[in-house]
Amino acid sequence: MNSIERIKAAVNFEIPDRVPVIAQVFGHAATLAGIALGEYVQDGDLLARCQIQALERYDYDAVFALMDVNVETEAVGSNLIYRANQYPDVKSYAFSGDATVESLSVPDPHETARMPELLKAVRLLRQAVGDDVLVVGCVLGPMTLATQLLGIETALYLAIDEPEQFADLMNFATEVVIRFGVAQIEAGAHLPIVFDPSSSPAVIPRQFYREFVLPRLKRLFAAFKQTGAIANWLHIAGPTESILSSYPQAGVDIANFDYSVNPLEAQQAIPQTCLNGNIKSLSFIEKTPEAIAEESSGLLDWFADRGGFILSSGCEIPPESKPENVAAMVLATRK
Amino acid sequence: MSNPTMDLLVTALLDGDQAQAITATRNLCDAGVGHAQIILDGVETAMVQLDAKCTVEAFNLLEIMLAGRAVMGVMKELYPPGTRSPQTKGTVVLASLEGDIHDLGKNVLKMILIAKGYRVVDCGKDCPVEKLIDVSGQEGPLAIGVSGLLTSVIPQVRRLREKMTERRLGNISIMAGGATLKQASAESLNVDFVAETAFDGVSHLEYIAGGGNE
Repeated sequence: MNSIERIKAAVNFEIPDRVPVIAQVFGHAATLAGIALGEYVQDGDLLARCQIQALERYDYDAVFALMDVNVETEAVGSNLIYRANQYPDVKSYAFSGDATVESLSVPDPHETARMPELLKAVRLLRQAVGDDVLVVGCVLGPMTLATQLLGIETALYLAIDEPEQFADLMNFATEVVIRFGVAQIEAGAHLPIVFDPSSSPAVIPRQFYREFVLPRLKRLFAAFKQTGAIANWLHIAGPTESILSSYPQAGVDIANFDYSVNPLEAQQAIPQTCLNGNIKSLSFIEKTPEAIAEESSGLLDWFADRGGFILSSGCEIPPESKPENVAAMVLATRK
Repeated sequence: MSNPTMDLLVTALLDGDQAQAITATRNLCDAGVGHAQIILDGVETAMVQLDAKCTVEAFNLLEIMLAGRAVMGVMKELYPPGTRSPQTKGTVVLASLEGDIHDLGKNVLKMILIAKGYRVVDCGKDCPVEKLIDVSGQEGPLAIGVSGLLTSVIPQVRRLREKMTERRLGNISIMAGGATLKQASAESLNVDFVAETAFDGVSHLEYIAGGGNE
């Protein structure tokens, strides 16, 4: 089996030749190549080259055309600060002061800010790996984009104080995300991962998630499937036990679960949905390869009978992670 | 004896209803209830109930933010800017360290600490360690609290103790929290305490202040 076949087997609860392994390597690919993170996130060609080098080194099942969490908000009008060895941060938000949602426009991914560079990375990665390895694009979830357009505190207070205005903002964010994700699929991504940390139950109550987030996730996942995504992948960090059971109705095929979620609880919450996780991100910096191998092996045991599993980190593998730790996780699936 | 208006204040604070909380506070003041009693029976009572509700499993930032904002509204009503603040349990210096502009967790902790009767000196986000130490030297806090969402701040946190000690500030307790820092142990970060949640941090502070238990 190649990586795509292996991942499809896991998603469909069929038996793969081995458990697929996806290391969530984003900026770590730049670190490995000796490239400054600040350059990596602005240059699609460089990003694709670093990702391919990381793939050659680790031999895992997916590459990521993923820059950072500020691509969409920058395209809408936020100003960013770029630094040499960090992901960029928002300096001023697009939706602030007297701005209204009507004054914002959905950016054209082929023309706006860094979106074309990300699409370039998608095209180059797909050219390089074809249908052998999963090419993953990335969009923010509407909730996370709303918080990136306004600042998280302001956005959350707006949701309570002016729910209709917040709903308008969420609708706008959904349009941005759909257009960007569809463009990524058309450029060659097998799927865009939907990265939505602001929807974590650590941030918002479950009722809020049901009312504001879930219906919009449904819309965007339907659009991605219609455009040709081979699966829908949702990534919400933190203690997601209380919302996992809603993932199937959102259209999720692969559910990321973070280190704090018990694998058994995740399995019980969504018995028929493929799960990926959940080694603690910090462990890739702090632990030894032996510890990572042991944790990986424990996870593989947890899912041995159930199937429907992709071995992975719970969240991003940090840029400064030890390469031998990433290698240890990948190797665990070959034993 | 139960005071229905005080109960209304507690309920409004727990609901995060700032307008209702301020109205209840005004009514209590008009009825001759002292500021100290409003803090003790209203704000502190609400904070204790919120603490109990916010087990790690049920903790979410939005509810805490709303309650915190309501508390801030009450405090401003009782002690408008320029007037004498109530006696505090001690000072805490907070910062999100250099390179990290994510400060939601720090801001939530700040609101809870103020509600619990502490004085907070906020060094803001993207704060150099040197500035945090300078401010700590000036303020003589019970503790400093550092938050971090990014792994890149970890080396700064680890060096903090040594730098504090060099400046003869080694007696000040160091607390760490935030999405990334809470993945690490206190030993590995070389701090006194790693807080899973904001209330967890407050419990540690109550312990070292001798005003509570841990």
